[in-house]
Amino acid sequence: MRVRRSIFRVINRRESWAGWSQVAPTLLFLVVFFIVPLAMMFGSSWMARGTYGGIEWRFTAEHYVRFADPLYLSILARTLAWSLGATLFCLLVGYPVAWTLANAGRWKNVLVFLVIVPLWTSYLVRTFAMIFLMRDSGLINTLLLKTGLIQEPLELLYTPGAVMAGLVYGFLPFMVLPIYTSLEKLDPTLLEAAEVLGARPAARFWKVIWPLSLPGVAAGSLLTFIPALGSYLTSDLLGGAKQMMIGNLVQNQFTTARNWPFGAAASFVVMSGVLVAVTLYLRMRDKAPGGGL
Amino acid sequence: MSDSKKIVALAQLDLAEGLADGRIDRRSFVRNALALGLALPSIAAVLQACGGSEPEAPAKPPEGAAAVDAQPAGPPDLGEMEKELKICNWSDYIAEDTIANFEKETGIKVTYDTFESNEELIGKLQAGATGYDLVCPSGYAVQVLLAIGLLEPLRPKYLTNLGNVAPQFRKTAFDPTDAHSVPWQWGMTGIAFRKDKVKAVPDSWAVFHDPQYKGKLTMMDDMRDVIGAWLKFRGKSVNSVVPEELAAAKADALVAKALLQSYVSAPVKGQLVAGDVWIAQLWNGDTLQAKVENDQIDWILPKEGGVIWCDSMVMPKGAPNKRAAHAFLDYILRPEVGAAISDFTGYGSPNAAATAKMKVPVAYPSDEQMKLLEFQSDLAGASAAWDQIWTEIKAG
Amino acid sequence: MTTTRRLPAWIIAVTGMVYFFLHAPMLVLVIFSFNDSKFSTEWSGFTLHWYTRLLERDDILVALQRSLLVGGASTVISTVLGTLLAMGLARHRLTARTVLEGLVYVPVVTPEIVCGISLLLLFVAMGIPLGTGTIILAHVAFNISYVTVVVRARLEGMDQSLEEAAMILGADEWTTFWRVTVPQLWPGILSGALLAFTMSFDDFVITSLVSGPGTATLPIVVYGMVRKNIEPSINAISTIVLVVTTTLIYVSDRLTRSPKPS
Repeated sequence: MRVRRSIFRVINRRESWAGWSQVAPTLLFLVVFFIVPLAMMFGSSWMARGTYGGIEWRFTAEHYVRFADPLYLSILARTLAWSLGATLFCLLVGYPVAWTLANAGRWKNVLVFLVIVPLWTSYLVRTFAMIFLMRDSGLINTLLLKTGLIQEPLELLYTPGAVMAGLVYGFLPFMVLPIYTSLEKLDPTLLEAAEVLGARPAARFWKVIWPLSLPGVAAGSLLTFIPALGSYLTSDLLGGAKQMMIGNLVQNQFTTARNWPFGAAASFVVMSGVLVAVTLYLRMRDKAPGGGL
Repeated sequence: MSDSKKIVALAQLDLAEGLADGRIDRRSFVRNALALGLALPSIAAVLQACGGSEPEAPAKPPEGAAAVDAQPAGPPDLGEMEKELKICNWSDYIAEDTIANFEKETGIKVTYDTFESNEELIGKLQAGATGYDLVCPSGYAVQVLLAIGLLEPLRPKYLTNLGNVAPQFRKTAFDPTDAHSVPWQWGMTGIAFRKDKVKAVPDSWAVFHDPQYKGKLTMMDDMRDVIGAWLKFRGKSVNSVVPEELAAAKADALVAKALLQSYVSAPVKGQLVAGDVWIAQLWNGDTLQAKVENDQIDWILPKEGGVIWCDSMVMPKGAPNKRAAHAFLDYILRPEVGAAISDFTGYGSPNAAATAKMKVPVAYPSDEQMKLLEFQSDLAGASAAWDQIWTEIKAG
Repeated sequence: MTTTRRLPAWIIAVTGMVYFFLHAPMLVLVIFSFNDSKFSTEWSGFTLHWYTRLLERDDILVALQRSLLVGGASTVISTVLGTLLAMGLARHRLTARTVLEGLVYVPVVTPEIVCGISLLLLFVAMGIPLGTGTIILAHVAFNISYVTVVVRARLEGMDQSLEEAAMILGADEWTTFWRVTVPQLWPGILSGALLAFTMSFDDFVITSLVSGPGTATLPIVVYGMVRKNIEPSINAISTIVLVVTTTLIYVSDRLTRSPKPS
């Protein structure tokens, strides 16, 4: 494998112009329509807010200094904790699901499809459906009351638990699919070999399956963690807008507060943190044996 | 270059987009002036005075409010009626046949879009995006747009029905000269409640401090409304920028937060109908819409007062179809048209003649109530302080 | 893995619960789209009123058409561009590859509102009038990365020896690409395109900022309806979208199901 790759690389080095011509149109597009506007935004995060919103062309670091306030750092800390919690929970329940999918035989395609289906309905509409389910006079409470299991409606909606449920609900498919991809590529003869050699189930999992599925786990965690970090609708609608996540803060700066520079500064602080995490993931993927998502 | 050549050149120049609106005005001015037989040099002098002879200044920096007021109101004539009209309004904010009837009567093709927040609208206009002839921001947003010079003055000669507007909604705080806006709908922010669930009519913002209603209370998910209510509660202005007053409002808001079920605006209607929420900070018109589904719902203006607001139609700078825009404004100012719109929205009509024709007229506030009510104005420099407090309330 | 191993009961139980959790809200949507009440959570009787009401509102149909147009166009463009980038990155040793890889992730980590406002500023600065064109450009900009990530994953697990064999046997690069690479890459391209279309079809924040007069997409209309009141017409739209997409995916699954065991 390694030998063949290096031969291929030699061929490619000679034709690296071919590589560049392949990526050039996309890179050009991304630079013009993403990097340039983003750079403009970054520049504006070092400018002052105009009296009536907008940007005043005066250099200042005040927005970054302001973000260092414990108030905003505590929001950042809570956001990290909730996003991590949601990611871990997704991993915990998503892994068994991915395992089922990978071993479902001819039901595989149908089951994979059933994981994706919810994504085809507007996230907002789905969130409202969860409100229907969870509110005091909602379906869950009505059912429980009618069956006599409870006397008073349970307080489900507008709790941190509801936000967590919303985050897990929104991003679970992003966890399941990459892990499924890794597990599906797994060579069954490896497991048989382990079994023949007398490895117990737990050992088979931790010594063979888990390491090979790590790239999928990493990709899934990233694809769950990043959107969770930026989410704002979930905590507004399911948390009753009583807690703020960093996504709400950014959203508020660009809307109600009309403080674009501060919103941009807050975004860039978080984005740089996430990009560090992504770089770590890329390193891990390049080193890991199975290949990632 | 001689003056006459200058004018010819000017008339032929396709000016950059930022000046599009000025160009149209000058051109029609030239055309009209020529028709009146004025001498060319004097026209040139006027054009010079308007400061518009440099076509190479497309990105004019926004000017302060004072500069805007000093600008000439533009020529009174707008030329011929255009064939189309582009409007951007709040969703669900117009009777279902208003646009169709207008199109039938005038032959003007209307493009009707909706927007969801004042800030989205300000942001787009501020970034320089144009294309709409009429938009409908709330009062404080009109004030902002006016201050940064993004609004086109209206020409009263085309608004023959302007006299129908009630005096309460003329020369408002957000458009003191009345030159830039035509009021669309007005409403108040107060308290909606379930008559069958509450022990007494909640006639004070203090009800949001009452522990017996814990978990059955909601306030709106809006910085201005929540902090504003607690400022009113202590007898202060909803536009206060005094740090001590804001600190007191924050303390009150935090006490209330512990009892609130959630911060939610319009969607609370469904929960009021279902009985999940008993007492909610809400607009009078939305309450009326919910009342149709459940007549146990009622609305009250708290004794400490609340917010009165008025969304108004304004014309952004560079509006391509000014004449048609005026035709539409004059159309909605007709009593029967205004009445149909307000019958649909459940809100009050700032049009006195229309209010008289409504099926269920929304009465104007009495002089007594008017003393308790306040228009919101833009916070300008104090915006960051308010935002900080709102974030502290949310994080607390 | 072609063999179906016996799964432990607890794994099947967890999977069952997760599927229930994922689909319960969808079921609620479908049921309430037939409920004869504007607000209440109580079942008040069967009606098709919310579906007929949709027909009265031609703004919804126009918006749906525009969403399909924007989704289709941006999906095609971003799939082509994203696939090219993924192949270039995976197959060529480009200088500063890590930087390029990082670049791919920038749109993924950028908050939507930041992306939307910066694009709005760019379009205005460039003098591009806001409209369907700018919506498509914006959607391509945020979709490319997702396509690249997914296609890249497929390339990662792909056997290159077939391509090398074709080249050695004298096929030129073009033939090799179309006859060998693309068929192998197809599942990755397809899922990348599906993902791109999904994201485009559901985007509100960016679209609302870069749209112009008369170019509202379906999410913009839906948000307008939700802001004022959660009218059951929205459930009806969602049910229709659900049924149509389910059918589409089912059909495409039948069509693309290759006999090859994975």
